[in-house]
Amino acid sequence: MAVHAAVHKQNEGMSNGMLGFILFIASEVMFFGGLFAAYFIARADAPSWPPEEMLSPEKIASGVKLELELALPAVATVVLVSSSFVIQWGVIQIRKGNRSGLIWALFITLIMGLTFLSMQMYDYSQLPFRASDTIYGTTFFTLTGFHGAHVAGGAIFIFVCLARSLGGQFSAEHHEAIEACSMYWHFVDVVWIALFTTLYIVG
Amino acid sequence: MRLAGKRRPVIRTFALVLIALLGLLTVNVAFAQSGQSGGITQEAHDIHRLYLFVLGLALAVFLLVESGLVYAIIKFRRKNDELPAQTHGSNVIEMIWTGIPMVIVASIFIFTFITLQRIEHKSTPENLTVEVTGFQFQWQFTYNLNDLGKGSDLADKRQVTVIGTQAEEPTLVIPIDEPVEFKLVSNDVIHSFYVRDFLYKLDVVPGRDNRFTITARELGDFTGQCAELCGLNHALMRFKVHVVQRAEFDKWVAEKAAGAKTARQP
Amino acid sequence: MASIAIPRHVAYERPAILDWLTTVDHKKLGILYLYVTMFFFAVGGVLALLVRTQLAVADNNFVSNHTYNQIFTMHASAMLFLFIIPVWAGFGNYMVPLQIGANDMAFPRINAMSFWLVPPAGLIMFGGFLVDGGSAAAGWTAYSPLAKTLGTGMDMWIIAVLLIGISSTVGAANFLVTMFRMRAPGMTMFRMPIFCWTMLVTSFLQLLATPVLAAGLVMLFIDRNFGGSFFDPNGGGNVILWQNVFWFYSHPAVYIMILPGMGIVSEILPVFARKPLFGYKAFVFATMGIGGLGFSVWAHHMFTTGAVLKPFFGFMTALIGIPTGVKIFNWLGTLWRGSISFTSPMLFALGFVSMFLIGGINGTFSAAVPVDFAIHDTYFVVAHIHYVLFGGSVFAVFGGLYYWFPKIWGRKLNEKLGVLHFTLMIIGFNLTFFPMHLLGLDGMPRRIATYSSANDWDLLNSIATVGAFLIAVSMIPFIVNCVMTFMKPKDQPNDPWEGNTLEWATASPPPVHNFDELPEIHSERPLFDLRHGAPASHQAPR
Ligand code: HEA
Ligand code: HEA
Ligand code: CUA
Ligand SMILES: [Cu+2]
Repeated sequence: MAVHAAVHKQNEGMSNGMLGFILFIASEVMFFGGLFAAYFIARADAPSWPPEEMLSPEKIASGVKLELELALPAVATVVLVSSSFVIQWGVIQIRKGNRSGLIWALFITLIMGLTFLSMQMYDYSQLPFRASDTIYGTTFFTLTGFHGAHVAGGAIFIFVCLARSLGGQFSAEHHEAIEACSMYWHFVDVVWIALFTTLYIVG
Repeated sequence: MRLAGKRRPVIRTFALVLIALLGLLTVNVAFAQSGQSGGITQEAHDIHRLYLFVLGLALAVFLLVESGLVYAIIKFRRKNDELPAQTHGSNVIEMIWTGIPMVIVASIFIFTFITLQRIEHKSTPENLTVEVTGFQFQWQFTYNLNDLGKGSDLADKRQVTVIGTQAEEPTLVIPIDEPVEFKLVSNDVIHSFYVRDFLYKLDVVPGRDNRFTITARELGDFTGQCAELCGLNHALMRFKVHVVQRAEFDKWVAEKAAGAKTARQP
Repeated sequence: MASIAIPRHVAYERPAILDWLTTVDHKKLGILYLYVTMFFFAVGGVLALLVRTQLAVADNNFVSNHTYNQIFTMHASAMLFLFIIPVWAGFGNYMVPLQIGANDMAFPRINAMSFWLVPPAGLIMFGGFLVDGGSAAAGWTAYSPLAKTLGTGMDMWIIAVLLIGISSTVGAANFLVTMFRMRAPGMTMFRMPIFCWTMLVTSFLQLLATPVLAAGLVMLFIDRNFGGSFFDPNGGGNVILWQNVFWFYSHPAVYIMILPGMGIVSEILPVFARKPLFGYKAFVFATMGIGGLGFSVWAHHMFTTGAVLKPFFGFMTALIGIPTGVKIFNWLGTLWRGSISFTSPMLFALGFVSMFLIGGINGTFSAAVPVDFAIHDTYFVVAHIHYVLFGGSVFAVFGGLYYWFPKIWGRKLNEKLGVLHFTLMIIGFNLTFFPMHLLGLDGMPRRIATYSSANDWDLLNSIATVGAFLIAVSMIPFIVNCVMTFMKPKDQPNDPWEGNTLEWATASPPPVHNFDELPEIHSERPLFDLRHGAPASHQAPR
């Protein structure tokens, strides 16, 4: 009885897996919440932002500057945001049962995700400061770094889904993983929008 | 084993143990009242008053609940296999025992708020200010000769400092019956400036300008100690507090300022 | 699911050890949790005995300052992160699916992962003793900048706590899905056993608070290893930030450490008073209230930093006394006019009520902010810690063990030894921790490796030390009891205690698939209804 009950319950409405995944994302939100809190507290404390006065003379001499360059990250942002639409399109396709549509969507999203990451890597290499250069550098690299890690995680997730759909899995009825995957990708995307606004535009 | 008869002895030992225990506790709690000394500063007296107020409420709640518990344990122990009335609860009663604690909480809060207002007053420029520096693992007390308060005549720019050493704990000398401000400074880790008889402590936080003001009301020697874990010798960051008359204080400062090797630590 | 589980266990026999290492059965995992956490209780306890030995007399040098800071830090870290927090996951794993009439947790494999994160975490944390510089030694609160000045042991501590954090966050999601989605037909939310309710609220706290601690630990790690400045004022960082982040997790965490214990007590009292829990719904709402308020009081640990809004946090803190009071009073209401039999589980439950009460009330002293100025970081707080965590949580753990032992292991622990265990423990407990109130009020700071004979703190400290060893002695009848009982045959019926909840509706121990059939569920006490006919809810109270 209990067994049937359990099975029965699982089939109605959202699946256990989906609910669990949403809870997982909730905890992710709290994690980034913690990091953002650190950033805003640091800003509130700082007499000026970026806190140039915190840099030691020898660091300034060695060419350390607390400034960001906007162009490339802006492009990267466009890439990442639009990739969110692509994967959503893929979800809509598989809901209709169009697997090849899904495959294309996943493939393009994956490429865009990787493009974003490589742009971020290049950007890192060009920046005139490091994580060890005042709270400004620390918060910048921690926030963007952990976001980058999540993008990478999402990319792997997408890759797995891509492989599985190439292997002929997923249908209009059964494509939980895809829904979860796109949800995660949107989450990563939203976090980035928040980051870009605070660190680059407001920053 | 569910039969009441068989379990009687155990029950009795139990009732006894519990009663004995609670007896012991109440006695202890009662004499916990003498646990906190009244303190030697204006502010300490306020804090102690609040403490006694909370203690009173606490004891009341404690005795009420524990005696109810012991009563129930003895009165309602299982005597036969008859099923007791299956009462599921009562909203009225729930209201009552939600309401009464609310009153208690409110009263505690009001008293707390008032006491905070009374003890956290800002110091005025003509008050004596002592700069207290905590470092691993000692204290340093610096008196700036320009703000000795009471228009002291030592128009000398130098400072008087007392630094503790392994050999000798530093002594903080302050005058009685006048507000003294403490400015807390640390450049390594967090320490906490704690004098038992002030009934007060304030953390010494790197990068924070923490200050507080007290008015000593008793002459004599007291002890203080670091109250925030700060590493290896945290336990040894002790110091003495010496409350003296203003005259004696000025004399001590003068001697110190004159750098007299003989500057005795009164 | 049974249809999967049965072939796994019947089709072919595997060596028992392999079976235990690879199991995804919630019951086996629950048992593993219990063994591992009780082991760490013992370890933490032995460290505590070292602490007490050092503090027994003034100016003692049984251990060096360096060692002392390590042992009390590891004592607390073991007791909290490796014992109390995971032990509830242990009880929860075994009991929640049974109590809601499900056949397993929602995600058995993830469940296994949650468990298997715990032992490595323990090894890494204690591995700190082997590296030079020794283990973590900044207290379980790891305040920065001090934590930045310590050796590799500190990094190992950070990693260990991160692993525990992941384990409990993931575990929480698992419990939530299980309770939301897998309840047996007829079991509405408000018919769930109280223990499940407390696990539910606890899981929410874990899900939302633990990631914030994770963020904090990451920052600390970056500060320590990559020249970060989060907590370094010289780099524009903020020393107090760590405390805010840490307590934002760790105050909710103290409710993570007590709520399931309250749940267990609320299972035991009704059974042995033979009455329903007084005010079931009020109790549920009180639990939610505590969980909610728990997020708004963290700064009461920081009153003496001078960096927090004192009146607000003082008020919110005192406020938590109200829902907690409701619980205490409901427990009294449950006993009132009951028919109480003093079995070992009942004794521990009663011990919980009387001792936790003290811990709660002395917490309220700190809520009166100026009083906290005096008692903060003194032994008064140490007394508080132990009255809530030992007098509360630990008593609940033992209550739960005595209560569910017949269900989990099919045998009943010896009553006389149980009574002896309880008696010695509660006396030793009060001997150890009551004097700490007085020491605190007399100004003895906590976390000091030694104290001068000038302050006459010797007597009370000696008493505390004697008490601590008495607690250790009280463990002997318990261990003997377990060993003796394990040698007896499994002879327990489904429902040896006349229980109320579904776990008693199946065999002891339950079959792999948990239930062959379930009773109909019309109230929060399906088994009571089964025994006494009409659902309690329809029964006119006499
Ligand atoms: C199981 C764990 C647990 C629990 C349940 C609690 C419960 C509470 N704690 Fe405690 N606490 C700790 C574990 C816990 N605590 C630990 C580990 C520390 C130390 C951390 C460190 O290492 O620094 C700590 C420290 C701590 C502090 C900081 C002290 C300091 O460092 O200066 C404070 C300050 O307010 C506090 C308050 C409270 C309050 C108000 C409650 C309330 O929830 C209690 C509510 C219960 C009651 C009040 C009793 C029952 C109520 C009634 C009978 C109703 C009538 C009563 C009234 C209205 C008052 N706790
Ligand atoms: C669940 C939590 C928990 C528990 C159960 C305990 C249990 C005990 N604690 Fe602890 N304690 C804390 C949580 C806990 N503590 C915390 C959070 C702190 C703050 C740390 C900090 O400041 O950072 C603290 C700090 C603390 C201090 C203050 C240290 C200091 O500030 O300098 C002291 C001092 O006496 C102390 C003592 C004890 C004692 C004697 C016990 C005893 O009750 C222990 C009893 C248990 C045993 C004696 C073990 C029994 C088992 C055996 C003997 C082995 C048998 C073998 C097998 C079972 C295989 N504890
Ligand atoms: Cu300085 Cu403790
Ligand atoms: Cu707290």
